[in-house]
This record gives sequence, C-alpha cells and structure tokens, in this order.
Amino acid sequence: MPLHAYLVLAALVFVIGLFGVLTRRNAVGILLGIELMLNAVNINLVAFSRFRADLAGLIFTLFTIAITVAEVAVGLAIVIVIFRVRRTIEADHLDLLRG
Amino acid sequence: MRIGSPELALLVLALPFASFLAIGLIRPLRRRGRPAAAVSILAMAGAFLTAGAMSWQGIPVARGLNPAVLWTWLPADGGPMASVGVWVDGMAMQMCVLVTLVSLLVQVYSWSYLADEPPPSLGRYYAYQSLFAFSMLGLVLSPGFLQMFVFWELVGLCSYLLIGYWYDRPSAAQAAVKAFWITKLGDLGFVAGIVMLWSGTGTFDFWPLFQAAEGGALHVDGLTTIMFLIYLGAVGKSAQFPLHVWLPDAMEGPTPVSALIHAATMVTAGVYMVARAYPLFALVPSVLTLIAWVGAFTALLAATMACVERDIKRVLAYSTVSQLGYMMAANGAGAPEAAFQHLTTHGVFKALLFLGAGIVIHHFHTNDVFRMGGLFGQRPWVGGSFLVATLALAGVWPLPGFFSKEAVLAGVLHAHLSVPFLMLLATSFLTAFYMFRVVFLAFFGHAPVHHEHPEPPVAMDAVCRALAVLTLALGLRAAVASHHVEGPAWLPWISLTWAFAGIALAWATYQAGRLDPARLAAAFAPIDFLARRRYFLDDIYGGTYRLLLLGLSRVVGWVDRYVVDGVLNALSAGALRAGDALRRIQTGQPQDYVYGVALGVLLLLVWAQLG
Amino acid sequence: MTETLGFWVAAVVLVAASLAVVLTPNLFHAVLWLAAALVATGGVFLLLDSPFLFGVQLLLYAGGVVTIVVFAIMLTERLVGESIRQTSRFVFNGAVLAAAVFVGILGFLLQAGAVTRPAAVGDQLGDLGRALVGPFAAPLQLLGVLLVIALLGALYFARAED
Repeated sequence: MPLHAYLVLAALVFVIGLFGVLTRRNAVGILLGIELMLNAVNINLVAFSRFRADLAGLIFTLFTIAITVAEVAVGLAIVIVIFRVRRTIEADHLDLLRG
Repeated sequence: MRIGSPELALLVLALPFASFLAIGLIRPLRRRGRPAAAVSILAMAGAFLTAGAMSWQGIPVARGLNPAVLWTWLPADGGPMASVGVWVDGMAMQMCVLVTLVSLLVQVYSWSYLADEPPPSLGRYYAYQSLFAFSMLGLVLSPGFLQMFVFWELVGLCSYLLIGYWYDRPSAAQAAVKAFWITKLGDLGFVAGIVMLWSGTGTFDFWPLFQAAEGGALHVDGLTTIMFLIYLGAVGKSAQFPLHVWLPDAMEGPTPVSALIHAATMVTAGVYMVARAYPLFALVPSVLTLIAWVGAFTALLAATMACVERDIKRVLAYSTVSQLGYMMAANGAGAPEAAFQHLTTHGVFKALLFLGAGIVIHHFHTNDVFRMGGLFGQRPWVGGSFLVATLALAGVWPLPGFFSKEAVLAGVLHAHLSVPFLMLLATSFLTAFYMFRVVFLAFFGHAPVHHEHPEPPVAMDAVCRALAVLTLALGLRAAVASHHVEGPAWLPWISLTWAFAGIALAWATYQAGRLDPARLAAAFAPIDFLARRRYFLDDIYGGTYRLLLLGLSRVVGWVDRYVVDGVLNALSAGALRAGDALRRIQTGQPQDYVYGVALGVLLLLVWAQLG
Repeated sequence: MTETLGFWVAAVVLVAASLAVVLTPNLFHAVLWLAAALVATGGVFLLLDSPFLFGVQLLLYAGGVVTIVVFAIMLTERLVGESIRQTSRFVFNGAVLAAAVFVGILGFLLQAGAVTRPAAVGDQLGDLGRALVGPFAAPLQLLGVLLVIALLGALYFARAED
C-alpha cells in the first residue's frame, strides 16, 4: 500500500478523535478522543519512518506512547478529583474559567 | 575715595551671623526669648562699634585703587565664574554704620516694644533680626552683582519673615506674601539683567566692570536693556511706581520692623544698588532719565496718598515711598552722592519717625490719627523727638533733611529735568503738609477720652531721644560744614518756602480750623478720590492677577477635565468595553477552546495551501 | 497482496472502532471500542514492519491505558452510584469542523508525490535499541523522570482526602 493510504487513514482517525473531543460532554470521553488523535499521530510517525527508512519516527512513537500513558494517568486522576469536588465530570458544567 | 579694613568688615558681617546661628541653632536660647534678645543686641552693638571703628580707620586713597578683597567662588573651566568678598569704600562704610546703628537701636527698642510677646516668638524675632542685619550688611559690602543678588534675596526673605511675624493674623500673612511676590517681580528683572551682563562681560564683579565702563571699554550688546532689567530689581525693592504697592501693606509687621527694614535700610537697597552701580548706569542715559522720571512721579504719587491716609504707619510708609522716589530721582539725574546723602539722613530720621509712631500707637492703642490728640502736652520728649524728625523730613533748616533734599533738587535741576524737578518741589510741599497733619492731629488738639495712658518704656523713649539727638547733630554738622551744593542761590529759599507753606496749610486746616478739611478735599476732588483708592493700583493688580491666574487655571482645568481626563476616560471605557466583549469568548468550557485550536489549524491549512 | 488485504481490514476496523468510541452513548462500551481501535492500530504497525511497536502498543495502550480508564470509570460510577451515560453536544458543528480539517489535510496529501517503499531493514529491533541508548539516551532518561513525576502527580491528585 502506498504511503498516502496510511496517511489518509491516520487523518481520518485524527478527525474522528477531534470530533470526539469537540462533542463529548463527559471528561473521560474527551480523554478517549485525545487518545484516538494521538494514535493517528503514531500511525503517521510510523508510516513516515517506514517509508523514509528513518528510525527516529519509531523512537518518537515510543516516546509518544509513554507520554500518553502518563497523560492518561494524570488526566484521569484530575477527573477523579474534579468528580469528588464537583460531583460531575460533565465538561459543560466545568466552567470556572468563564470570563 | 576712602577704603577701610576688610578684616573689620568681615567682623562686622560675622557678628550678626554668629548671633543668628546661635539663636537659630541653640533651641533653649531661642525658646527663652530674652537671652536670645540679649545675644542679638550684644552682637549688634559689637557690629556697630566695629563698623564705627572701620569707618574711623578708613584711609583716603587715590581713585585707581580696588576697594574689594575677593575670594574665588563657583570654580569652573577656565577660571572661577564668580567671586565673593567685601568691598569697603566710603559709601559701604557709611552704610554699614547706618545699618548697624539703626539695627542696634531698633533691637533695643524691640526689647520693650515686644515685651508682651511669648518668649519663643521673641527668640524667633531676634533670630530674624540678626539674619536681617547680616544680610543687609552683606548686601552693602558686596563686591559684585552675584553676591549682592544673594544678599538681596536674603533681605527679601527677612522682610517676608518679619512682615509675617504675627503670622496668625491673616492680614499680616497676606501682606508678607504680597511683599514677597511683588519684590520678586522686580528681582526677576534683576537676575536676568546680571546674567545677561555676565554673558556679555564674563564677570559679576564691580571693579572690572567699573574700570571698563569708566575707560569706555565696556562693549556689551543691549546694555540699555540689561541696565533697565537691573533697575527693575531696584523698582521692586525700593518700592518705585508701579511696584510700590507692597510697602504700605508691609506695615502689618511690628513697628520696629517697619522702622528698620521698611524705612531705614532694606528698602533703600535699590537706591544703594543704583548708586553703587552708577558707573554702569552712566553709560545708558535713557535708563537714567527713566529712573529720574519714575522716581519723581513715585514721590509725587505717594505724597498724595499720604495726605489722605488715616493710619499713622501707612502715612509714614507712603512718605517712605515718596522719599525713595526722591533718592531715585537723584540717582537718575546723575547725582548718586545726593541720593546716598538723602538715603543716610532719611534712614536716621525715618527710623525715628517710625519708632516715635510706635510710642504714639502704644499710647493711644490705635493707628488712626483722627482718634489721637494732645500727646505733646503729656509726653513732651516724645513729641519733641517726633517733631524734630518731622521737621527733618519736611526739609526745614538746619535739619539734615533740608540739606540732602536740597542736594537732590539741585542735582535734578542740574540735569535739566524740569518736570521731575517741579514734581519734586510739589512733593516737598505735600510732604510738609501730610507730616504736619499727623503732628497736629496726634500731638496737638484735643486729647481723646482715654481709659489709661501707659508710660512709654524707658528703652523706647531712650532710643527715640538718641535718634533725635543724632538727627539734630547731623543737621548741625551739615549746617556748620561749608556745604557747597551746585545749584542756583534761590533753591534753598524756594524749597524752604514750600516746606513752610505746607506746614502753614496743615496748621490752618488741622490746628487752627481756618480751613475745613472736607472743603480742602473737595477742591482737589479727583486727586482726593483717586488717592483714597490708592489710584486703583491694588485693584488693577488684583484684577490682573485674578484674571490671569483664574483664566489660566480655568484653561488648565478645562484641559485637564475634558482633554486629559477625556482621553483617559475614553481609553478606560474602551478597555472596559473591549474587555467585556472579549470576556464572552472565554466560556470556560475546554471544548470551546479546542474549537478555537481546530479553527486555527484549519486557517493555517488553508493559508498554507493558498500561499 | 496480503499487505493490501491486511491494510483494508485494519483500516475498516480502526475507523469503525474509532467512530464507535466517539458515538457510543455508553462510556464503558466506548472504552472497549477504544481498545479495539488500539489493537487495530497495532495491526497497522505490523503492516509497517514494526512488530516491536505492535507489542508496545498492545502492552501499554491496549493493556495499560484501557485498564486505567476502566478503573477510572468504575471508580466514578461507584462514587456516583449509577452507570455513566455520556451525551454529545453540538454534534453538527463538531462534524463540520472535523470534516473541514480532514479536507484541509487531504488537500496537502493530494499535492504530495508518491514515495516508494524501501526494503525492510533486517535488524530493526537492534537498531532501535542502539538508538535508544545512543543518540536518544538523554530523552529516554528524561522520559523516565517524566513518568515518575506523572505517577507521583497522579497519586497526589487521587489521594484520599485527609
């Protein structure tokens, strides 16, 4: 399969994730969307790495995965704290920063 | 030309200054009052003796000798910019004696006059007095314009402080501020003039300036303007028209202060300065003519105002203005010696008049001459002293005023200034009239019903007697000495005639009752009307001041309110409104921010592809 | 041929699972769909000759992340006492914007020329290992630090209230 196929696939997954981030009301749902977007990025990185015969893409992917894990851990911890305090994880209700 | 010992001159300066420092810095001394007064009087007595010795020791020298001893001051590239020192010539020494003598007598007089003052105030008073004596002596001994200006401002400061001595009286505080500002107006010209002179010649010192002026080697552009500006300083200080308005108000100060500062010494500083810088003024005849005209006019104007004044101190104040006009006229007519002679004699008898007036006020508890009377019978010594001084001021032979006035008149006549001469003659008539009006009203006539007649304190009485004796002695010395005034032979007779005519008119009006004062006033209705309102000069100044200041403040206020504040308000309102509008963007919802990010990415994509 | 087939299978599964993640109302199901999408991504990695990444993807993502999320969901549901339904907002807006971004990216892709696929490297894993301890040693260490900090941070946030 040509490189474009992978890239289009990655783009598709990315915008689906973006759609999820934009539309989900639940904070965990938003996190899931972010996971999808990061996955799409990983696909891109690996595809470029393969087609350009450059190991750096793989290594970046490794790093991304590790960082994602950390992000999910912290993000979920925050979600739980918010839930404890506000009794909700609906993003619509979390508007303390509203001007 | 005589010069004196510079060491003695420095000692004369140092004594009052040390007294000022001691009273000013040693708080207990100042707060006790009496000890401070004693210190000040002792220092002044020492200064007087030193000045006398200096004058006595003064040795005559040839004209070409520099009477100044200088130390460099204001170091700058290419030599010092200015110097300080003492200039001890005959005029300075005579002036020193006058200043120290009158200061001493006034300080002794004040010991009794201000006996009821609280001690701290008294200490303050004597601190000012010492500072004044130091400043005045420094002015007199100045060897250059810059040092003179410094002391000039110092005496102005002392004048301000002493006029406002009773600073809790609104009228005194106002008078002090008025005196300060109006003299400052003249001082602006003075300082501008000396700076311009310096930029033209490179020196402030009299000696090189006089040498160049007399040698015809002084080439400065706009010398006329410069000398006019310098003369403006004298106009302010010596209360010449139109800046004379501060002097009558300065009578709000204690009477001894009026005697010392606003009659005998400080106000004559302008005359002294013009006489001192005469070699420079001699180069600009137009300014000299102006000085003579303004002097004569001032003399006449002030004399008319003195004729209608009811306040005895203000009569004397106008009389001072008038006599200062005489001196200035002599200066302008090219007779600075006559001006200086009148200055010294006037200093003595005017101080006597003021101090006598102090006793009169003390006696009647009022300043209004129409509520006085018959003092001569009760206090013949006071009346006698006052009469001597009055005769001297009126210019009656053989009192010193006669000779100095004659010298002035001769000088003015010699300069072919006929109109100023006539003005001065009229003034001498008016002088005799208004002074004897005061004498007849206060010392003769009916004594008002009065609850008590306090005995004048010994010190005040003694000082007046001493001054009266001095006045007589000065007059007799002048009479005995072969006085050679260059003038026509009829001059002394005509001036005597005018003086006696004035006395006679005053006698007829206020003593004998032959003439009704109201009818006399009606005969000169326009002048009477104007003089009683001080020729509206105060109103004009007040109006101009108000117009300018209020107008300016209105403009500034408008600009501040509508332009400055307007800009600020517009800015703040704009910022508020913009912030309010921008605030709506911040929904606080994370996803809306993601929308923003996604839109941004989209924009970037579109832009990258189109570009 | 197998690659083409594998790609299409993986692509269809991935897209379908992703759509399910963002559309399923049930949060728990969404997480399971995410696991499927992650596994499909791992398949894509395999197709790109990166078996090592496939393993990492399965272990860390499909294993670790999904487990954590499941834990979180169970925790919050236990706290709230009911199963969490998730709803969506502004679906239309989100779809339009997402589609627009997709078109934007596609525009770029269409402009680019085709790239030939080089031959597979023999010892990819060995090269990866050497690169990680060689030129990328420092980032690797920093990554370790980051993980520790994230762990501590998560612990701090999630700690029981005193």
